[in-house]
Amino acid sequence: MTVRGNHQAWFFSIILFFLAAAGHGKVSVSGYVRDAATGEALIGANVVILESGTGTITNTYGFYSLTLDPGFYSLVFSYVGYLTETRPVNLGTDLALHVALEESYLELQEVTVTAESSNSNITRVETGSTQLPIQSIKKIPALLGEVDVIKAIQLLPGVQVTSEGSSGFSVRGGARDQNLILLDEAPVYNASHLLGFFSVFNNDAIKDVKLYKGDIPASSGGRLASLLDIRMKDGNNHKLSATGGIGTISSRLTLEGPVFSEKASFLLSGRRTYADIFLPLAKDTAVRDNSLYFFDLNAKLNYTINDRNRLFLSGYFGKDVFANDFAGMYFGNRTFSLRWNHLFSKKLFSNFTLINSHYFYDLGTPQGEIPYFNWISFLDDYGFRGDFTWYLRPEHTIRYGVSSFFHVIKPGSIVAKDQDGNETKSALSGNYSLENGVYFSGESKLGNRLAVRYGLRYSFFHNIGDAQVFTYNDDYEVIDSTYYARGEFYHFHHGLEPRLSANILINEKSSVKASYSRTRQYMQMASNSSAGTPLDVWFSASPNIRPQLSDQVTLGYFRNYLDNRIETSLEVYYKKMNHAIDFRDHAQLLLNPRLEGELRIGDATSYGAEFFVKYETRRFAGWVSYTYSRAIRDISGINDGKPYPAPYDKPHDVAVVFSYDISDRFAFASNWIYSTGIPFTMPTGRYEILGNILPLYTGRNEYRLPDYHRLDLSLTIKGRKKPEKRWSGEWNFSVYNAYARKNVWTISFVQDELHPDQTYAEMTYLFSIIPAITYNFRF
Amino acid sequence: MRRTIPYRYGVILLMAALALPACQEVIDIELDTTYRRLVVFGTVTTDSLHHQVRLSTTSDYFSNQPAPAVSDALVELKMGETVLRLEELDSVPGLYQTPVAFRGKPLTRYHLHISQVDVDNDGIFESYEAETTMPVTPMLDSIRLVYFQTPFFSGYQVFMFAMDSPEREWYGFKIWKNSDLLTDELSDYRVQSDDFVNGKYIYGLPVGFLTDSDPRQTLLPGDTVTLELNSIGEDFFDFISDAQLEIMGNNPLFSGPSANVHSNIGNNGIGIFTAYSLRSVSVIVRP
Repeated sequence: MTVRGNHQAWFFSIILFFLAAAGHGKVSVSGYVRDAATGEALIGANVVILESGTGTITNTYGFYSLTLDPGFYSLVFSYVGYLTETRPVNLGTDLALHVALEESYLELQEVTVTAESSNSNITRVETGSTQLPIQSIKKIPALLGEVDVIKAIQLLPGVQVTSEGSSGFSVRGGARDQNLILLDEAPVYNASHLLGFFSVFNNDAIKDVKLYKGDIPASSGGRLASLLDIRMKDGNNHKLSATGGIGTISSRLTLEGPVFSEKASFLLSGRRTYADIFLPLAKDTAVRDNSLYFFDLNAKLNYTINDRNRLFLSGYFGKDVFANDFAGMYFGNRTFSLRWNHLFSKKLFSNFTLINSHYFYDLGTPQGEIPYFNWISFLDDYGFRGDFTWYLRPEHTIRYGVSSFFHVIKPGSIVAKDQDGNETKSALSGNYSLENGVYFSGESKLGNRLAVRYGLRYSFFHNIGDAQVFTYNDDYEVIDSTYYARGEFYHFHHGLEPRLSANILINEKSSVKASYSRTRQYMQMASNSSAGTPLDVWFSASPNIRPQLSDQVTLGYFRNYLDNRIETSLEVYYKKMNHAIDFRDHAQLLLNPRLEGELRIGDATSYGAEFFVKYETRRFAGWVSYTYSRAIRDISGINDGKPYPAPYDKPHDVAVVFSYDISDRFAFASNWIYSTGIPFTMPTGRYEILGNILPLYTGRNEYRLPDYHRLDLSLTIKGRKKPEKRWSGEWNFSVYNAYARKNVWTISFVQDELHPDQTYAEMTYLFSIIPAITYNFRF
Repeated sequence: MRRTIPYRYGVILLMAALALPACQEVIDIELDTTYRRLVVFGTVTTDSLHHQVRLSTTSDYFSNQPAPAVSDALVELKMGETVLRLEELDSVPGLYQTPVAFRGKPLTRYHLHISQVDVDNDGIFESYEAETTMPVTPMLDSIRLVYFQTPFFSGYQVFMFAMDSPEREWYGFKIWKNSDLLTDELSDYRVQSDDFVNGKYIYGLPVGFLTDSDPRQTLLPGDTVTLELNSIGEDFFDFISDAQLEIMGNNPLFSGPSANVHSNIGNNGIGIFTAYSLRSVSVIVRP
C-alpha cells in the first residue's frame, strides 16, 4: 500500500470512530416489514418516528433499523397500497419488531382507511430514480398483451426506446449497453426474447423494480447510464398459491408457497409461447417442421435460519428457439445468485452474494448432419459481493462493501465438417478479465431541511490471459500482436467514482435536489444496430480500449399537490462521456478477431430536461412525462470528425399513461406515446457501378425518420367475487396502436428492378393495430 | 479488417424469415443534393484481355437518369516503366480500355492516373490517382456440388477445396454455368477473407448456391459449373462488402447506420480500381 493509501485508510478510520461514538448509549429497534398475506418483504417501506418525523426505509430485504435514545416512541409503518400501522414502543434495550402490513382494498361504496399518500418523492435524497410498483406495470397495455417491465420503464421520462418493439433502452442519451440490469443481483446481459419484442422478465415473478438514471448508488458500478434493479418475489410463506395467464402469445404459471414451514418458501414461475404447438397441424411441410418459441423459468428458494440469518437462492433460465430440419438458432440467459443475509447486530446488516450469469447463442445445422456447421458464443460472469449497512442513527446510515467479478467471454467458436467428415475448428481469442469495486457511502440528514448522500467507489480492472492482443497503428491496422499466457495479468485500469447528491427540503410539499456522479464502464457491447440482435457480443477494456467515463450533474425541483396525490418534478441534467465508443462505417462485428480495429473512440454529450406529473386517486392513477433531450457524439474517424446525433437522440419524448377503475370489476387503461423520429442517414446523391445504383451520403444521422406516436388501450374485466372460492380470474382485452399509425421502422432506398435507372424510397413499419386477449387467474 | 463468414447471409435470412413480418410501402421523401464527384470502376486481371476503366459522375438521388458518363478524359495505366493510355470506346461513352490485350501479373503494382476532367464544372481540370497491387494467384484445387433440399429452398451448394497461403488474403467467387456468368451482379459476387482458414487447407468451403427457383441457375445433367476463384486485395474486398450492405438496405436489427462505400480513388473520387488474379476449376453435373 502506498503512503497516500495509508492516509486514506487513517482518514476513514477516524470518520468511523466518530460515527461510532455518536451511537454510544443508544438502543435500536429493528426488524422486517412484510406483506401480511404472503410474507413478502416490502422494499422501501417507510418507518417514521412520529415524535420526531425522522425515520428510515426498509432495504431490499425488507429490513429496517433505527437507533434512538431510550424512551417511548410511536413508529409508523407505511407502504403504498397497504394500510398504515402505528406501533408504540418503549425502548429500553434493543428491540426486534417485525411488522406485517395489510393490503388496502379499494371500496367504492364504503369509506375505507387507506395508506396515506407518501411524499417520499420529496424527501428521498436520490435524484433521477423511480420505483415502479408491479401493480402499475400490470395495468399498462402492452404488445400482444405481454405485460413487460422493460416496456414500462420506457414510458418514464429520460428513458428512450431504441427501436420499436425493442427491449433495448437508452437512459439520458446513453447507449443501450450502458444500463446495468440486475435480477436479484445477477447481471442480465441480454434482456430480450424474440429479437427484443419481449423482455426476459416475467412480471408474475417480480416484486420490485427500481430504475436509477445516472445517480447510481456507490454500491453499483460498471455501467455509465443507469441501474435497473429488479427483485424477484420471495414466495408466499403462508400458503400455497398460484397465478397464471393464457395470452395471445404465451402462457404462464407461477406457484409459490411455504416449504414445510413458514421459515422457508419457494417460487416457481414459468412462461412459454405456444403458437408453435399448432405448427404440426399445418398443411405446408415448410411450416410444419419449424420450431419457434421461447420459454423462461424463474425459481427462488429462501430460508430463514434464525433471526440473524437468511438464505436466498435465485435462478433464472430462459431460451429462444428458432429451428427446423435445416438449421437452428438458440440463445438465452441463465442467472444464479446465492445470498446470505446476516445481522451482525441490530444496527449492522450484511449481505453476501455469490453470482453467476451466463448468456449464450448457438446456431448452425443439426448435430450429426454432414456437412455440418456450428457457431457458439457465450459470456459468463462469476462474482462475489459483500455489502454492509450500518444504521448508525435515523439521521445517518453508512454503507460499504466490495464486489469482484470474473468475466469470461468466448465471442465465437466455429466447427465445420465437409461432406467427407473433415473437420475444421476455429475460435476467436477468448477474453478474460477481473472487475472489482470497493465502496463507501452514507446518507445523512443535516437538520430538518438538508439531506445528503455521499459515496466513493473505487473500481479496478485487470485483463487476464489466455489472450492474443493486437497492436494497431493510427490507421487501425494490425502491426503486431502479443500473446498472454493463461492466468497472466497483463493490463490494469482503475479509478475513483465519486457520487454525491443533496436534497434541500423547502417544505413538506417541495424540495430541490442536486447530484453529481462519475461512473466507469469496463465492459461494452459490440453492436452498431439500433435494435440489437441475439448475436451481439461483449468485449472489455484492454490495452487498446480505455474504460468509458461519464460525469453527470442534475438539478431538480419536486413539488406535490393535493395531499401528495399529485406529484410533479422538473429535472435537468448534463452528462459528459469520455472515451465513448462507436464503430466505423460498415463495421464487421461478427466473428472478427480484430474487433478492436473496428472501434472509434471519442466523446459524447447529452443534456435534457425531464418534466413529470403523476396523479393518483382511489380510482384513477397515471402520469404524464415530457423530456426534451439531446445526445451528441464527437468521435474521430466518424462523420469526417464532425459531431453527429447519437442513435437515441430524440429531442421530444412524451408519454401519457393512465388507468381508471370504472367499477370494482371493470378497469380501463391507456398509453399515448410520442417521440421525435430517430436520427437517420439518407443519401444526397447516387452513382452506378456494374448496373447497381449505390447511394452517396454526406453525413451520418443527418436526417430523421418521421415522428413516432401511438395509442394503446386495454380493458380488464374481473370475475365476480366469490369469497368461498379460491379461484379468481380476469379477462384483459388490449389494443396496441389503436389508430393503426404506420410508424416508420426504417427507410430503404431501392433500385427499381424493372427500370434500373429509377430509385424510390420504401418505408418499413412493423405493426398496425394489434388486438390481444389474455385470461389471468389466481388461486 | 473485416471478414464475411460463410453462413452470414443464410443466418440473417433465417432470422429475418423467422422474425415478425413487417410491411413496406413506397413513400415520398425530399432529399438534399450535393456536389458532383467522379466515379471510377477499373479492373486488371490475369486474364488476357483489354482491361477497362469506366468513368461517370454522381447525380442527385432521385434524378432517375442513367449515370452521366465522363468522356474525353486522359486515362493512363502505369505498371513499372510501362505507361498505357486507355482509349475511350466510341460505342460506350465513359468506358476506356487498354489498347492491347495483356495478362496482369501477380505482385505487380498498378497505378491509375485520370486527368483532363472537370467534374465540378469550375473550368479547372482535376486529376485523380489510384494504386493497387495484384495478389498472388490462388491455389484452387477442386470444387464439389452437393444438392440440398430444405423447407426454404433447394438447389446445389458449391463447395471449394483449396490451399490458403500463410499471408493474409481476400477472395472473391464467381460462378459460371456453362458460359453464363451467374454472379454478374454486384450483390451476387461473394467475397471473403481468410481469417478462419489462414495457412490451412480449405476443406469444402461453401462459396455459392445455385437455386432451383431461378431457371438461370437450375442445373441439369451435363451442365458445366465453373468456379473462378479471385484473389483480390483488401480494398476491393472492402468495396464489395460495403456495396452489398448498401444494396441490402438498412435493417435496425442487423445493420449499423448507412455509410459511403469504401473507395481507393484519390482526390475525393468514388469507386474502385483493383487488380486481381484468378484461377478456375470446373465440374460437370452428373445424372
